[in-house]
Amino acid sequence: MSSLLEVQGVSVTFDGFRAINNLSFQIGMPEMRAVIGPNGAGKTTFMDIVTGKTRPDTGSVRWGDLGHSLLSMSEAQIAQAGIGRKFQRPTVFEDQSVHDNLRVALKKPRGPIAAILDRTTDTDRARIAEIAEEIGMAGHLGTRAGILSHGQKQWLEIGMLLAQDPKLLLVDEPAAGMTTEEREHTTALLKRLAETHAVVVVEHDMEFVRRLDCRVTVLHEGAVLAEGSLEHVMADDRVVDVYLGR
Amino acid sequence: MSIFTQNRSVRIFIGILVLFTLGVTVMSEAYGTGAISVSFTKVLGMTLCLCLAALAMDLVWGYCGILSLGHFAFFGLGGYGIGMWLMTARTEAVVRANLAGGVIPPTEAEVSQATALQIFSVVGAEDWPWMWAASDSLFLSLVLIVAVPGLLALVFGWLAFRSRVTGVYLSILTQAMTLALSLYLFQNDTGLRGNNGLSGLQNIPGADAIGQDRISIWFFWASAVALGLAYVAAAWLISSKFGNIIRGIRDDEQRVRFLGYRVESYKLFVFTLTGILCGVAGALYYPQAGIINPDEIAPIASIYLAVWVAIGGRGRLYGAVIGAAVVSLLSTYFTGGRAPDIALGAFRIEWVDWWPVLLGLGFVLVTLFAPKGLGGLVDYIVRKDRA
Repeated sequence: MSSLLEVQGVSVTFDGFRAINNLSFQIGMPEMRAVIGPNGAGKTTFMDIVTGKTRPDTGSVRWGDLGHSLLSMSEAQIAQAGIGRKFQRPTVFEDQSVHDNLRVALKKPRGPIAAILDRTTDTDRARIAEIAEEIGMAGHLGTRAGILSHGQKQWLEIGMLLAQDPKLLLVDEPAAGMTTEEREHTTALLKRLAETHAVVVVEHDMEFVRRLDCRVTVLHEGAVLAEGSLEHVMADDRVVDVYLGR
Repeated sequence: MSIFTQNRSVRIFIGILVLFTLGVTVMSEAYGTGAISVSFTKVLGMTLCLCLAALAMDLVWGYCGILSLGHFAFFGLGGYGIGMWLMTARTEAVVRANLAGGVIPPTEAEVSQATALQIFSVVGAEDWPWMWAASDSLFLSLVLIVAVPGLLALVFGWLAFRSRVTGVYLSILTQAMTLALSLYLFQNDTGLRGNNGLSGLQNIPGADAIGQDRISIWFFWASAVALGLAYVAAAWLISSKFGNIIRGIRDDEQRVRFLGYRVESYKLFVFTLTGILCGVAGALYYPQAGIINPDEIAPIASIYLAVWVAIGGRGRLYGAVIGAAVVSLLSTYFTGGRAPDIALGAFRIEWVDWWPVLLGLGFVLVTLFAPKGLGGLVDYIVRKDRA
């Protein structure tokens, strides 16, 4: 399996605090990976580095078969290269309708002129309808995103991620604020995506991770503490110490 | 165009603008009853230009979230652009008339020299400064009216946005830009007549036989057409996916980046486009005002522009227009000596001095009781009607 994303020896320091400490991580395609770890373990910073929001002090982040360095690319270029991100706190454009949120995310040319001349084609319409169906919002396309419930916003953001059609999906706590039924739907959706995409899920909820049934990477103090199946990492004494608390 | 059928506010706005233009024409001195004086026609025409500038401000601030406090600099540059041509052509005509009495007809060089002396003697110069090079050609001057504000906005925006200067820092930077430009123009050796500015701009070259009564209404029409076209174009722009994206940038620019959009390009596009719109508005405004000087682009002017949009309600195009029209007309009323002063015994309220207080009070009241501005009140009334 060739790796899609390869993070090697990355460190980043904020005001003397070492948020990421010589972290290495790789994921292939297709694959599902869960990243767990206590608060402050560096999960979000890790995502920030991969998506270009934060520049590491040392280390390399390579992407795709050609091994392009992501460190010299802007956030927009990285997103265009095929890395999509769902935030922990759902961030949708509250002032705009569900349809418009999806339309903006839809994979199409990203330049200003292209955006001015963009017309919603039948293909676009079908794709938006399909995604809306998938995220259970077929009847809400005209609704303003700001009045959706927390769970619905989560779904909409997942929908925007789908519309973007990335190769790698970085998903931060997808199940937060969802009902049991919605969680099951999310699990099924992520699993299905992982058949054709690389999916990294950051999650606190161990029950949810168990249901994902995938390889788990445990972060602690900015470094990888353990990696393997959930059973394997849970059997590791250090993991039990730092994460499950003693 | 489908923008008319899809967007009700565009139809209503254009309808009102057409009715207003017809109304003013029917009451004008040149083509109607004369109920509206020439000077008031000019005030109305100038108000339409200010509405156009406010429309641009609403696009850049209300829709794209860039609180530029320097857009009046572009307005002023447009005014200087047309002013140089007007002054050159007009002065040259006067000089030719004066020299025509001589025995030997004057050479072109002599005319040019005499014109320069006439224009620049006020600042102790007698040669054409380099920036007047295009002033003898109307076509080139019109090109510069678009190109100079556009280029300044492009360069300034490029430097600011690529360094990701946002929020209040950007506002301060834009204030610095307009202040620097204003101070530069105040200098006599800049070549734009320092604090004297350019004057006599109401005299249109080659139109001596046509009275100001007709010229004033022609400029009023031109201003109305420019505002109407810009309104339709702006409505079309924000109804496209581009509009969705810039509103996204306003609300959460980092999110837009992670969707793969180069936020800087979008901001630069909007900043430059609105800079050009302001330049065009200024080029229509100053021939009606008759005079432009560096005071016009003092930092406070750009702040007023933002105040109009805030009072009118940002994020709705008609809000910007309503805000600019209401506030600037009230300003003309209170500071033009028309409003009767109020005597309170020993104290006397003179509106010229008290207008800023009134404006400040109005701003506070609108913020408290109509947070979406006067345009928001219009929405409220329209919705109520329909319900």
